[in-house]
Formats: sequence, structure tokens, C-alpha cells
Amino acid sequence: MKIQEFMTTKIEFIDAGKSVYDAVERMVDRRIRSVVVRFSNKEGDYGVLTSRDIVFKVFAKGIDPKKVKVSEIASKPVACIDKNMDFDDAATTMERSNIARLFVCDEGKIIGLISLLDVMAAELVTRAREDHGS
Amino acid sequence: MVLEKIFSHGRKERQVTENIEKHIQLLCRACGIFKDALEKNDRNLLWEVIELERDADAVRRDVIAHIYEGAFLPYIRPDLCKFVEIVDEVFDLLKDIAFLGLECKLPEPLREESIRVALLNFRMCELLLISFQAMLRGEDLREKILGIRIYEKKIDDIKLNLFKDAEQVPVANFWAGKMLSDLLTGLCGISDIIEDASDHLQIINVSTR
Repeated sequence: MKIQEFMTTKIEFIDAGKSVYDAVERMVDRRIRSVVVRFSNKEGDYGVLTSRDIVFKVFAKGIDPKKVKVSEIASKPVACIDKNMDFDDAATTMERSNIARLFVCDEGKIIGLISLLDVMAAELVTRAREDHGS
Repeated sequence: MVLEKIFSHGRKERQVTENIEKHIQLLCRACGIFKDALEKNDRNLLWEVIELERDADAVRRDVIAHIYEGAFLPYIRPDLCKFVEIVDEVFDLLKDIAFLGLECKLPEPLREESIRVALLNFRMCELLLISFQAMLRGEDLREKILGIRIYEKKIDDIKLNLFKDAEQVPVANFWAGKMLSDLLTGLCGISDIIEDASDHLQIINVSTR
């Protein structure tokens, strides 16, 4: 199954200069586990901030999230995969890089996101369509 | 296998199952054409969807007529009729949104996600057909029905964002807004009915074991 058919397109962006508190507010409000960090206006200059980063690097250490900038704890660069690749390729890439989410890119622009759960859902659908092409 | 006996013996029974299969195949075609119509902004393709709904009506009438002429044991007839009626509801909704598509063009910010929904609707129809064919072979439908439910969930996720984006789209007047809203509601509602059809298929499958 092609990635672009089943990817999540609900992606939130946040500017690198914003505080971690701003990111937390947005993530809790939208019920999302990560935000894409925009470092500059240049296409492709992205990072990613996950709930794991926030909890482990800020909350667990008792740091005030209003005093930490998103850019200080975000991971950069983001792992990208082409929209025309299959979910099998995505699973392999995730396993090799030991990451839980992959961004779907089209000419350097992020257009979607796939998580481990998406990979599992795609696998179930592929099995359901077995012998009929996927 | 009880199912194989129920579905393969007798000319009348075969006619009914062939027609139900044809009905679902028509639905796949209609959903595929509707997706192409959105992608290409092609009004002729929308008219084709409306034509297909009429063809499907004729097939549905044939199925019901054959069933009441005595195909299948009486206990299973209402369930088969109900299944065909549910599939026909999808056709009705598809026709309604095809008419709406003729009247209002999808705004650019909503186009891409609407086409994705149309594609997933098409994939769900394909899986419904695969499920029906599997049932005729007496196979277990659990994995297939789950696949349909996953597609439906995906469409629900997209629907939420689609309507959020739609709030930002300027509309000329009340009726233009209503038509756009009805178009999006219908487009995202197709998956719910296909899911109902698949649930009913599972009921038929279980009740004939």
C-alpha cells in the first residue's frame, strides 16, 4: 500500500523560537504527540518535537517549560520518506533508524506523517485485501 | 460447508448472488469515477455516476424480485434484501453528492483531502466486494471487515480536519455554504454506510453457519 493513501495529514507546525510551554499547550489541545518545528522560512528546514522529548528533557528534570525554547530540545533533521513509497519501506526505515514516526515529504515539503500505528493499520488492510492486490 | 451449499446451489440462487456481486461492482465503478471527477474537475464524469445509480437501481430490483420468487430459504431472504438495500443507500448518497458537485466546485483548500476521502471510499467498496466474494467461498470475514473498519476510522480522522478547514473557506451566500456543507457531509458519510453494509454481511455470514 502506498504511503500517501494512508498517511496522516493532520500536522501542526510551531516556530523554533516559541517556548516548550506553547508547544505543550498546542499538543494537548489538538491531542497530538508531536509538532514539526520550523527553524526558518526555508523549505526543508524542519525539526520535530515529541511528547517524549518534552516529558524526558523538561518535565522530568523539573525545568520550567516557559523558559525553554522549542529549538533547544527538538530533534533535527526530521526523517523523511517519499510519498510514493510503500508501507513496507516505511517499516524498514523506522526499524533501521529506530524511530516511531516518519514524515512524508514531497520536494522537501512535509505533506504527511506516518506513525507505528499507521504502519500496523496498513498491514491489517493489506492482509484483508490479500490475493486481490493492495 | 453450509454457506457454500446455501450460495452455490440452484439457478435462482446463483442469479441472485451474481446480481449482488454486479451491484457491488457497479458501486466500485461509481466511487472510482466520482474520485476521478473530483480530481479532474470533470462534470461529464459526475453525470456518469448519476447514470450508474440508475443502472444499480435496476440490478437491485432484479435481486429483490428473484429473492421473492423463491430463491434461498425464507429465513435468509430478509437479510439479503437488507444488504442490497444498504448498498443501494450508498448509491443514493453518491448520486446526491454528484448532483451537488455539478452545482458547486470544491474550493482549493479542501480539494486534496476531499479527493483522499473519495479514494478511501473507493478502496472500501473494493474491500466490500472482496468480502462478499469471500463469503460466497465460505471464508471467514473477520480480517476483511476489520479492514473496512480501519478505512472508516481513517475517513473519520480526515473528516474532522476537513470541516475545520471548511470553516475558513469564504462562501458567497447561505445556499452556497449549505451545498458545500452537504457535499462534504455526504462524501464523508459514504464510509459509514459501507461499514453498515459490511456489518450486515457479517451477520449473514454468521447466521448461515
